[in-house]
Amino acid sequence: MNHSTSKTLNLTLKIWRQTGPDQPGALKTYTLTNISTDMSFLEMLDVLNEQLIAKGEEPVAFDHDCREGICGTCGVMINGQAHGPDNATTTCQLHMRKFNDGDTILIEPWRAKAFPIVRDLVVNRSAFDRIIQSGGYVSVNTGGAPDANAIPVPGHMQKDAMAAAACIGCGACVASCKNASAMLFVSAKVTHMANLPQGQAERSKRVLSMVATMDAEQFGNCSNTAECEAACPAGIKLSNIAQMNREYMKALLFSCE
Amino acid sequence: METGSARPKAGLIDWIGLRWFFLLLSSSIGQKFVMGVTGLLLCGFLVAHLAGNLLLFAGAKWFNDYAHKLHEQWEFLIVAETGLFVLFLAHIYLAFATTFGNAKAREEQYAVKQTKIKGRVIGANSWMFASGAVVLGFVLLHLTDLRLAADGINLRGFKYTDDAFGNTLMVLKNPISRAVYVIGSIVLGIHLSHGFASAFQSLGLNHPKYMPLIKIGGKVFAVVIAVGFASIALFAPEIWRGYVPVSH
Ligand code: HEM
Ligand code: FES
Repeated sequence: MNHSTSKTLNLTLKIWRQTGPDQPGALKTYTLTNISTDMSFLEMLDVLNEQLIAKGEEPVAFDHDCREGICGTCGVMINGQAHGPDNATTTCQLHMRKFNDGDTILIEPWRAKAFPIVRDLVVNRSAFDRIIQSGGYVSVNTGGAPDANAIPVPGHMQKDAMAAAACIGCGACVASCKNASAMLFVSAKVTHMANLPQGQAERSKRVLSMVATMDAEQFGNCSNTAECEAACPAGIKLSNIAQMNREYMKALLFSCE
Repeated sequence: METGSARPKAGLIDWIGLRWFFLLLSSSIGQKFVMGVTGLLLCGFLVAHLAGNLLLFAGAKWFNDYAHKLHEQWEFLIVAETGLFVLFLAHIYLAFATTFGNAKAREEQYAVKQTKIKGRVIGANSWMFASGAVVLGFVLLHLTDLRLAADGINLRGFKYTDDAFGNTLMVLKNPISRAVYVIGSIVLGIHLSHGFASAFQSLGLNHPKYMPLIKIGGKVFAVVIAVGFASIALFAPEIWRGYVPVSH
């Protein structure tokens, strides 16, 4: 698509509004005119909020930080799709040129028991933090940077670990799963470290502990539908979940943990 | 590394050394592992059952010989049937446990939900509980039709003889039974079209080299099972239309 031939869109937005965690929420309809197709999705929401503030109304609360697909805070459901219609894209990387003049766009927060709504489109994803706290790190002192060649890591393990490390913890996997399962997220963290030498000492303990926390946070189970993989902006694969399953069963049945 | 608040305090279960077994049946991954194992073992039973039942096409002598030889080995049958019962029970218990847990994980639904998988229409994966429930209903009917009857418990009002071949044809000749058997076979196939490959994923048996084979194999297996069983219900009574049951 030619970027210079920018067009403008007239849109109808239906946005989930909710004043607080325990308040009832509802979809509210807004109209926007003259939205440039060069805008990002969040810039479109900025325009809406400026207009709401000018009218003395409460702006729509939504999470965002880096606006370049790194921080993982900006996820919302757009017409029933996590981060909108594109693959491998966060909400902040989505452009308005993906939409047509006259479209109605439905925007909802991530919905999961483990992600309570804070306000409007903002959800509390601290359940992810608690999963990480229960094992998503290496607690051995690795010392100064060793000679890279002194720690042999097979190429495919290194690639798998790097690919898993790409997870930005946005929660799109939970949001898009019919069971609100966090398996893709947890598997990215578990396999990332299970595939590297530094992760070996705590390999069994880590997976047992992180899965126990995941279950305690009331995320759902995995039905292997692969919706998470399709929604993931960072390209985390279902094979990570298979490896986590393997790691978990090995740790459960054969480790001393 | 702190083991976290998620690990419960040591109790009786640790004293008798069964924490691992408790987690096998209660943790998300343990539950799916057991579902996968029981599902695949049930698939193994289906293969044996279909192979035996295809003898219905070979004729009364073949099928009855097979049935008699099978039932003569009653020690083996007791073990096999108890095993099957346990497999079913575990699979069904976990089907309910995971389905309830999954429903609780999202209490408020989306106003609109769309897949991001290109070309996905309706996935059998969304219908695993429904298709499983239909299979369960069918299995219960099938057991009253042909298994309990063999023990002399007649709940269906058919006129059974000790001719297994004749009894099977008699049940399949009833148009309602026949329709139910065909539908049951097809729904079982739908269950397996997702279940077979899904079980490998749940067991952690995912490997770039074998994944395409497992996926295609799963679909082929589902079709073979569905078409195999359905064809018996559809054609066996037609082929042996003139068969007169023999009482020994
Ligand atoms: C001959 C009978 C059956 C066979 C061969 C069979 C086979 C399978 C297999 C191979 C799986 C995949 C396991 C996995 O995803 O790890 C599965 C899953 C499942 N089955 Fe069955 N099954 C049978 C009967 C039933 C019955 C009676 C129910 C009862 C409701 C049931 C409900 C389910 C459910 C809910 C799942 C899990 C799906 C998910 O996680 O989304 N199945 N089955
Ligand atoms: S705002 Fe950081 S990923 Fe979108």
